[in-house]
Amino acid sequence: MATTTMTMAKALNEGLRRSMEKNSRVLLMGEDIGRLGGVFRITDGLQKDFGEDRVIDAPLAESAIVGTAVGLAIRGFRTVCEIQFDGFVYPAFDQIVSQVAKLHKRSDGVYTMGLVIRLPFQGGIGAIEHHSESPEAYFAHTAGLRVVSCSTANDAYWMIQQSVEHDDPIVFCEPKSRYWEKGDVDLDVAPAGLFDAVVRREGTDVTVVGWGSSVKTMLRAADTAAAEGVSLEVIDARSIAPLDVGTLASSLTKTGRLIVVQESPNTASIGSEIVAELTQRCFYSLRAPGLRVGGYHVPYPPSRIEDDFRPNVDRIMDAVDRVMEFA
Amino acid sequence: MSEAVFHLPDVGEGLVEAEIVTWKVAVGDVVALNQPLIDIETAKATVELPSPYAGTVVALHGEVGDIILVDAPLITFDVTGGAPSPVAPATPPVEAPVGEGRQAVLIGYGVADEDAPVTRQRRRRASAEVVATTTVVAPRAMAPRSTPPVRLYAKQHGVDLGGLHGSGRDGLITRSDVERALHGPDVTLPVISPSVGADRPSHFAGRDIEAWSSGPLEERIPVRGVLRSMAEAMTTSAFSVPRAAAWVRVDATRTVELLDSLRRQERLAGLRLSPLTIVAMALCDAARHYPGINSCFDADAAEVVVRRRVNLGIAANTDRGLVVPSIKGADTLDLVSMTSAINSLVDTARAGTATPADMIGTTLTITNVGPFGVDGAVPILPPGTGAIVCVGQVAKSPWVVDDQVVVRHVVELSMAFDHRHIDGALASTVLRHMADYLHDPAPRIIAG
Amino acid sequence: MIDDELVQLLTPEGERVANTEYESTLSGDEIFSFYRDMVIIRRLCNESTSLQRQGQLALWAPVQGQEAAQIGAGRALAPMDFSFPSYREHGVAWCRGVPPEDMLRIFRAVTTGGWDPQRYRHSVPTVVLGNQTLHAVGYAMGVQRDGAEEAVLTFFGDGASSQGDVLESFVWAASFNAPVVFFCQNNQWGISTPSSVQSRIPLYHRGPGFGFAGVRVDGNDVLAVYEVTKRALDNARVGGGPTLIEAFTYRIGAHTTSDDPTRYRIDAEVEVWKHRDPIERVKSLLVREFRAKVTAFDEVAAEAETLALKLRDDVLAMGRPDPQSMFDDVYAAPHPLIDEGRLELAELLGGGR
Repeated sequence: MATTTMTMAKALNEGLRRSMEKNSRVLLMGEDIGRLGGVFRITDGLQKDFGEDRVIDAPLAESAIVGTAVGLAIRGFRTVCEIQFDGFVYPAFDQIVSQVAKLHKRSDGVYTMGLVIRLPFQGGIGAIEHHSESPEAYFAHTAGLRVVSCSTANDAYWMIQQSVEHDDPIVFCEPKSRYWEKGDVDLDVAPAGLFDAVVRREGTDVTVVGWGSSVKTMLRAADTAAAEGVSLEVIDARSIAPLDVGTLASSLTKTGRLIVVQESPNTASIGSEIVAELTQRCFYSLRAPGLRVGGYHVPYPPSRIEDDFRPNVDRIMDAVDRVMEFA
Repeated sequence: MSEAVFHLPDVGEGLVEAEIVTWKVAVGDVVALNQPLIDIETAKATVELPSPYAGTVVALHGEVGDIILVDAPLITFDVTGGAPSPVAPATPPVEAPVGEGRQAVLIGYGVADEDAPVTRQRRRRASAEVVATTTVVAPRAMAPRSTPPVRLYAKQHGVDLGGLHGSGRDGLITRSDVERALHGPDVTLPVISPSVGADRPSHFAGRDIEAWSSGPLEERIPVRGVLRSMAEAMTTSAFSVPRAAAWVRVDATRTVELLDSLRRQERLAGLRLSPLTIVAMALCDAARHYPGINSCFDADAAEVVVRRRVNLGIAANTDRGLVVPSIKGADTLDLVSMTSAINSLVDTARAGTATPADMIGTTLTITNVGPFGVDGAVPILPPGTGAIVCVGQVAKSPWVVDDQVVVRHVVELSMAFDHRHIDGALASTVLRHMADYLHDPAPRIIAG
Repeated sequence: MIDDELVQLLTPEGERVANTEYESTLSGDEIFSFYRDMVIIRRLCNESTSLQRQGQLALWAPVQGQEAAQIGAGRALAPMDFSFPSYREHGVAWCRGVPPEDMLRIFRAVTTGGWDPQRYRHSVPTVVLGNQTLHAVGYAMGVQRDGAEEAVLTFFGDGASSQGDVLESFVWAASFNAPVVFFCQNNQWGISTPSSVQSRIPLYHRGPGFGFAGVRVDGNDVLAVYEVTKRALDNARVGGGPTLIEAFTYRIGAHTTSDDPTRYRIDAEVEVWKHRDPIERVKSLLVREFRAKVTAFDEVAAEAETLALKLRDDVLAMGRPDPQSMFDDVYAAPHPLIDEGRLELAELLGGGR
């Protein structure tokens, strides 16, 4: 079993490379992904090895990146679109929601929309406006799409390959604040199915769920909680749409207390969906209402104060205190 | 003659009606498929309607200038025989449930009419719980299953759900499970006895008697012992004492709450706290305020005897029958002592170990019909007493607070009294005093 | 506004016109077949309008006046070429072999598609304006990567030409030299907005603005449309890159059956364009040059009539879809919310799968 250590960015790079080696109809398309290798170097070296026909430097038009990927899918290609930053996905929103999500159904299953839309998302990198968004709820809300997020290098390596192979369109959310963090990558065996949630740390008192950048924060909170005598069970949701409700519900029937951690504002969020769904399934196990620890109902703030907006250990622990206080 | 009716369709202009502008056919005309029939004017434009049938015009259902509603008949055709005329349903093809028409809008068949009264069309067949794919969890220390209100109740009473067995569905811990844990087997809650079935023996007049179906049609029981005592006492009282009664309903929520909080006190663990205790405290307090109630009518001496010490009789239902032992000097007891006294009094009475001294000297009596699930009674006065208080079940009832109807714990107190020397004013005043005590017990208990 | 650069090979009176760039080499039979196409599509379109007026269709978008633009373009396609329509290209769909009743399914509101796009190499309708032009460019990029000698033809109107997606598709087609032909039917009106508001310059001038050829053709002249489109497709097929064709035509009817054109345009304008009818001019040519007989035209009319009645029967037979079908093909792979939804609906309806 081959294991190696690499950054999440490198793991994505390697995963894309594997995908392109396995299937000659896999293409990459995005702004500055070829010669530059991507603003985060995710596609570094790939154009050199696979050529300009397969690693396409796109003109500056997000709607066209996705729209032409639709046409390529109709022709039988699997395109991995890179949207440079989360805040720039909105010009492509029409193509994603009106076309990518619906063409399989509109064509009665004839068209396969086997494309991936890669989205560096979430904040915590001290950026300027529009570079730290969490738009996953818009896409999770849309039938026909699937939405996933990796939190570790190993997951990045495997989930990007699984996404490329999947016949449904997948919005692939990458926590850009974790791009440079190193982790062990098992090059032989996938850690889980693409749509599986994974328990990162077992516990007995509270089920804490999150994805992307939140996972590491939840694990740190679990250490703090343990020191205070409270045992958190930390779950990496990994698949935002569809949610792995089975894994989440198993945990909640054990602990009876639920906290969802997300960078996105709580309003009409994935966290709201998780709380609603699990309340219905685990009602008789609930010792407390489900709480969401997420962004406030404001545009993402200037990054100098982003740490007061994004969930941190203190805010997670505050939620832990509150759920523990209930019956 | 086979007829077909063309109803005014929605032509996609957001209309509910149209005005007839020009008829292009007349009755008797032979009309071809798609032949122009009529010009109608909608809110926005004049629209020509082509014929959906080939046939002969039988009737025109309106004149120039008439306003026709969408879906109303426009023309009736005779489509018998002749050219193959497709029998087109003239109403929109969307088969909506009965009562659900559509009103035209710009871009489609239109908006469903939701103003028509609709009865429930369908009911889901399967189980109500939408738990389609939940995996069954291996119960490795699962959280105890209950509902939020029950969890709150348990928390307020210091009951840990973890140790409880849930009697509800799938091991759900119910409110009565919590109450059972609180009160133990001796529950002072209204117990609704199961109705005596024809095959079950029962207890009566101090003994077990045979079941309805197996016992003699006429059974004679000698009047002896406790039965005789009760009979003689009641007869004497009934025929010698002019008895009157008064009653009052009281919001005893604070009494219930006080008892709940007292039960959580460690030093009161083991004591069976119940509303009866508070009623006893209230009666004694009333006696201290109105000694006249703690009196009796001595006919022989032609005197009214007022006593300044309460020997509180508690009517106890035992196997041998009704006995009324008393707590001596109940007016001197604090809450804890009163509770202990009542508990041990009832216990010894039931065990049959009450002494003769216990059974005499009663000055005031309380009879508790709450456990039987009734509200009140007009009891017979024990000899030598002037008043007896009956307390019913404590039950949640609608109550008016600040002009709003709310749910409160309500209990009824009734008092029977010897009207030779106690008048309605005193009886009512004492009842009112007790009611106020039950309504807000804490300050009065503290005041002593 | 018609200027000298309008490619025309047949006048409204049915007389041939010489053109420096293009000439028609079509035979009499071929021209007659175009006549037949246009008559049939017009008749089917009129039947569809009637059906809507009779409450059998939710909506209908007529092609009246644009028959030559669509038949001319549709017949220029090679069998392996792929076409990407909007929602009004019934004439093109006809050329591609899509059964007429399948074209009406979306307007009967029983589906959002209607036919197998891969089978007919004609994509499903796109209602969001302009989205399909990007799909066409992407498909063309796929053709390039396959090294295939195929071209892509995509349709949009003068209104849609203002959409960002259309302009982005021009950028991409030029940057990648994609084998795609952009066919804009300028029928002068985007609902009530005249084309002069969509563009301050003739639309075909945009082509060179983005880096490729643009040509304006008389959209009511089926001979010219055919030649212009064929050349553009041939050019694309061999790597010549994109072309923008502006078919200058007129929307004789309303935008859809929900529209009332009398509110924003004058009858006189419509009358002017009626005199430029695409079918009449071809009929005149066939009579004058090819001695076509009245009986031949009558046969076409009768055939169109038969097809119209068949279309009526087919539409009336389209019943309410099984509600469970809403769950079909939402995803390619199994999905828990689809399973739950099916179950819930089945429990409510007391049946289904």
